[in-house]
Amino acid sequence: MIEVKGIRKKFGDLEVLKGLDLTVNKGDVIAILGPSGSGKTTLLRCMNFLERADEGTMYFDSDVVDMHKADKKTIHNIRNKTAFVFQSFNLFTNKTALENVTIGLTVARKMDKHKAEEIGKKLLDKVGLSDKYNSYPSQLSGGQQQRVGIARALAADPEIIYFDEPTSALDPELIGEVLKVIKELADDGMTMLVVTHEMNFAKNVSNRVIFMEEGKIISSSGTKEFFEEQKNERVRNFIKNILKKGE
Amino acid sequence: MKILSLIADSFFKILIPGIKVTIPLTVISFSLAMVIGTITALVQFADIKYLKQLARFYIWVIRGTPLLIQLFVVFYGLPSIGVVMNPFPAAILVFSINEGAYSAETIRGALESVPKGQIEAGYCCGLNFLQIMWHIVLPQAFKVAFPSLANALIAMVKDTSLAANITVMEMFMVTQQIVARTYQALVLYLELAFIYLMFSTVLTKLQTYCEKKLSAKGAR
Ligand SMILES: Nc1ncnc2c1ncn2[C@@H]1O[C@H](COP(=O)(O)OP(=O)(O)O)[C@@H](O)[C@H]1O
Ligand SMILES: [Mg+2]
Repeated sequence: MIEVKGIRKKFGDLEVLKGLDLTVNKGDVIAILGPSGSGKTTLLRCMNFLERADEGTMYFDSDVVDMHKADKKTIHNIRNKTAFVFQSFNLFTNKTALENVTIGLTVARKMDKHKAEEIGKKLLDKVGLSDKYNSYPSQLSGGQQQRVGIARALAADPEIIYFDEPTSALDPELIGEVLKVIKELADDGMTMLVVTHEMNFAKNVSNRVIFMEEGKIISSSGTKEFFEEQKNERVRNFIKNILKKGE
Repeated sequence: MKILSLIADSFFKILIPGIKVTIPLTVISFSLAMVIGTITALVQFADIKYLKQLARFYIWVIRGTPLLIQLFVVFYGLPSIGVVMNPFPAAILVFSINEGAYSAETIRGALESVPKGQIEAGYCCGLNFLQIMWHIVLPQAFKVAFPSLANALIAMVKDTSLAANITVMEMFMVTQQIVARTYQALVLYLELAFIYLMFSTVLTKLQTYCEKKLSAKGAR
């Protein structure tokens, strides 16, 4: 469904992505692991053109896109098929939960307001926020805000959702409610790319795991194989350390 | 007794040009200034080449020169190159351009106070730059800028007295004329000051009320 080849990205002299290839098939839930600073966020941002890659080719459905040169229209088309869930939620603070979900429909797609609200309410119901339609982000807990973020991502009926550490900004007791929602999406067959440090989530929900280090993918395999037959020692240590921290 | 009846007689003579000239002059100039200021701020915020430089130049010149001299340049200076304006439109032009430069800086600061992540989220939702500005950034920025802009409005009410210098028949001008006839400078100018104080007080109350309303709606 989506394939990227040879993504490179530099910030000044710092080479953050050093020629990555990645293939995502429909229905894939890919967990992206790796130490902080390895370029995970930058990879997702480049794939959604929040950051402009220096080099790289993207094959999205039948389109072939030069990731460095893509024009506004191409980017807009790709964004229409994708959605992004941010580590820090990035909800629109002047909009209610429902408006956060519907704004892409009413403003960007000029959908009728009532129809959009119907969709928005359904999505908020889906993420367990039936009683929060009219709450402003400041009136919601972190877990609730992130669930609004997920509902907002779903609104445009995307082909793929990128999650950048969706639970890292949350208090431990709120992580579960968000992971549960993401798991339900996986069960529905949603295609997702999830940067996470939650090993159990990666183990139980993803079907493939990618490990990044210093701007490269150094391990990539099916989830079971990744955790049970991991050949790379550094990756094994990384997983062990995180699991230890979690205890 | 004579003084009291002078005050009573002159009160409406001063107040009426206040209502007929000072208030329209302020309202029109300030509204235009908001449009100019918002556009000037957006041009810089969006980092549009050339226009951004132009905006910086405009702000630099206007903020670096006295308002009174700007009034003189437009009203007494421009006619020598064939641009003749009536006093009232000339005053509106100068006040709106002047305040536009100051509010541009206020608004730009407020725009920058809105978290960048919300702008990125807006793009991810399929919105374009102007839609993001209009629906997300400007409403939040307005809230941040509101107290400063309200203060600027109050300051402008008082600054309109400078328009007397280019023969606009506003309150100060009218008061000066009454003083010239009656020689009661102290009483009349105090009376004028009092009327300005009334205007400012109403606006200050209004400001407090609006700030309460704004902070009640979707607290940040
Ligand atoms: N906008 C930026 N400007 C400069 N350096 C950046 C920027 N964004 C990220 N970096 C740097 O790129 C590297 C990778 O960052 P990131 O993709 O956020 O890693 P990760 O998400 O894996 O922690 C880090 O060293 C970071 O400091
Ligand atoms: Mg990151």
